[in-house]
Amino acid sequence: MPYKGEASLRFPTDEVRNTLIVFGDNMRGKTSLLNSIRWTFYNYAYGRHLRPIPLHLMPNRESAAEGDWTMEVRVEFEAGGSQYDLRRVAEKKALVSKPERPEDFTVTVHMKKDGAAIPASEIDTEINRFAPEKVSRFFLFDGELLQEYEELLIEGSDQGRKIKEAVEQALGVPALTNGRDDLYTILKRAQKLQEQEAAKVKGMEGIAERQREWYVKRESYETDLRELRIRHNDVRDQRLELEDDLERYEAVFQQKIELDALERKRDEIDQEIKTKSQSRLDLASKVWRDLLAPRLIAMRDASVEEQKRLMVQMNSRIQIETKIEQILDFLRNAVCPTCKQPMEAGKRESRETDLQKLKSELDDIADVSQNLSEISVHIQNISKLLGDGVSARILDIDIDLARREHELSRVENKIEELKDEIKGYDTDEIMRKRKSRDLLQKDETRLSLDIEDREAKIAEADRELKALSQRMTDDVSKSSTKGTQMAKLSEALYDSFCQSIEELRSALRQQVQAKASDAFRQMSTQQAYQGLQINENYGLKIIDHNGEEVAVRSAGAEQIVALSLIDGLSRSGRAAGPVVMDTPFGRLDMKHRKNILVYLPKSASQIVLFVHDGEIRGNDDLSSIAHRIGGQYEIREVSPNHSSLEIRR
Amino acid sequence: MKPNIDEPTNLGLSEKVHAKLRQLQEEGHFAEMRDAYRFGIALALSKGVVPPDISSPRSNIFGVASIDPDKSIYAAITALMDTKQDPVYKWAERLAEWGVEELFTRSQNGQIDFVGLVEEAKLNAGG
Repeated sequence: MPYKGEASLRFPTDEVRNTLIVFGDNMRGKTSLLNSIRWTFYNYAYGRHLRPIPLHLMPNRESAAEGDWTMEVRVEFEAGGSQYDLRRVAEKKALVSKPERPEDFTVTVHMKKDGAAIPASEIDTEINRFAPEKVSRFFLFDGELLQEYEELLIEGSDQGRKIKEAVEQALGVPALTNGRDDLYTILKRAQKLQEQEAAKVKGMEGIAERQREWYVKRESYETDLRELRIRHNDVRDQRLELEDDLERYEAVFQQKIELDALERKRDEIDQEIKTKSQSRLDLASKVWRDLLAPRLIAMRDASVEEQKRLMVQMNSRIQIETKIEQILDFLRNAVCPTCKQPMEAGKRESRETDLQKLKSELDDIADVSQNLSEISVHIQNISKLLGDGVSARILDIDIDLARREHELSRVENKIEELKDEIKGYDTDEIMRKRKSRDLLQKDETRLSLDIEDREAKIAEADRELKALSQRMTDDVSKSSTKGTQMAKLSEALYDSFCQSIEELRSALRQQVQAKASDAFRQMSTQQAYQGLQINENYGLKIIDHNGEEVAVRSAGAEQIVALSLIDGLSRSGRAAGPVVMDTPFGRLDMKHRKNILVYLPKSASQIVLFVHDGEIRGNDDLSSIAHRIGGQYEIREVSPNHSSLEIRR
Repeated sequence: MKPNIDEPTNLGLSEKVHAKLRQLQEEGHFAEMRDAYRFGIALALSKGVVPPDISSPRSNIFGVASIDPDKSIYAAITALMDTKQDPVYKWAERLAEWGVEELFTRSQNGQIDFVGLVEEAKLNAGG
């Protein structure tokens, strides 16, 4: 609790100006005010998900640090024409130095009625006369509950079933359900007697035996069901506790997820850089050939030119040699190669002159065959020295490496930032808690299915037992034994109670529907809606002007429906009285807020609203109910663990 | 191979440049020292450098077969420079001495820009 020292609120007592508004930022102590009233009347306070806050966590931290662990709340009120003074005090036990569990405190409660003290043992009964604890969630109302009431609309939801039970508890159905359960016990006893009697009747032994077997099965299913429900509640409580814990660390968890992903990314980039660097090293062992290539290519090109020139020279020489060979051949035979006639002397001389000329030409052309051969080898050797040209591949790798290294720096910087941000948090513990939460969630689902299974088996056993009992009644009734008579009577009574429960539920639902519809029409901005229709779970559907269900509802509409239900339940469960609401306007637009503000003072004898600035923004928003406001307070921060209440003017 | 010239069986560097060669490998510019050694020879050849003899003290580092298993270095040197009457692998050592020194200088700015050196070699050949 953020309240240190003494803080007091004066509730308006004027019939018209019956509205008190307390403004306070989040975390400043609005819910603590609601809890202080709850604790005074019922000796408990709720945290998230309606889980009780342990007593040792309730006293003000600053006071506790100063050694003062005492906590006291006092409420003076009027009910049924009497003046009451209710005071609850929690004090640290003398031998405890620092309380670490609720048992380290002594809690005492004191009540005076018209100045006379009421014995402690009678205080709860007295309170329940005008402020029944079971209905208290409707008049000591936490805005967080609205969402849970919206779950009533989901047929078969676990939360819906629990709220339905709470609603029926509040509306008085247990009087009949307890009667039904008692009658079932009597019925079982009668059927047992009937079974014993049947066992003595010839021909009925088999039926009696089967009945006994079904009883044994049913009892076993019931035991199972009880245990499963206990385990289910236990698992759900554990899960919710973990979820509350995890919610606080959600941002850290998200950062941890991001950090893990970035660390994986960093490792991947690191690996890629290593692989690329290795490829670069492999290429670096070969790139020396690329350095030589330009000079070698130039040299090879020059050699190729030289080779061409030598080829031309060698071809000229071959041509001359061929011609010389032909002339020599001619001269040797002295016969015209065409007509085969002996060569004339003039022609022979002419050939000899040609021969001399050709020989002279041949002497001028050097024999380059050796050179040609050498140059060919040279060219071949140079070509062998030229590599595959790896520098282009190195360039690609260098570009890629630069990009990767830039990315790596970016990732590493982000990793450092995230590490700084989550420094001091045990992220492994958060991960463990998330895993535990997920396991518990699975357990919860499995247990829900098991519960459904046992319920179905119990229903089956009931059907079988009823059929067997009927057969016995039919066969044994002729002898009209005591067991049969008892069984018949208790079964009729049991059926009657079952039917009455259904009728009462139906009547209560109609009553709640009528009151909630009335509230809804006044709070909704959509005047064309007919009202609300209640379902088996006490969930409410909006009915439009054609009498059809409005299928799609906004978040604001859901809230109006939930508020209407709360109002309907509150007015069905007790006489009109004060209503305290904590943060009731969360998702509503201005028009709806105004409608609700106008409606609430009319629906309760006294209305107390704990709101933040986002819900009601100053006097402009309150102008429509200015004439109903009996007081305004503001919760002011003195220090992070200390708030004070001040009258707002 | 040139006849009548005794080629050395080991290749080395001056101790000063040897230390630089080792550093080039240790700093990850090359996977092995012999890769840097070969590159040094090629760099000097690409620049058309005619290097002087290695200053003492000198140390043997590699066997010739380890640096030039297919005689490519030998062929490149004989193709690109006039080795006169000196053993080709003596020239290889001198070229490596100059090239490794140059490479080491270039490595001082960070990564060795192999591609830039190849481009320079093209310009040199063109010139």
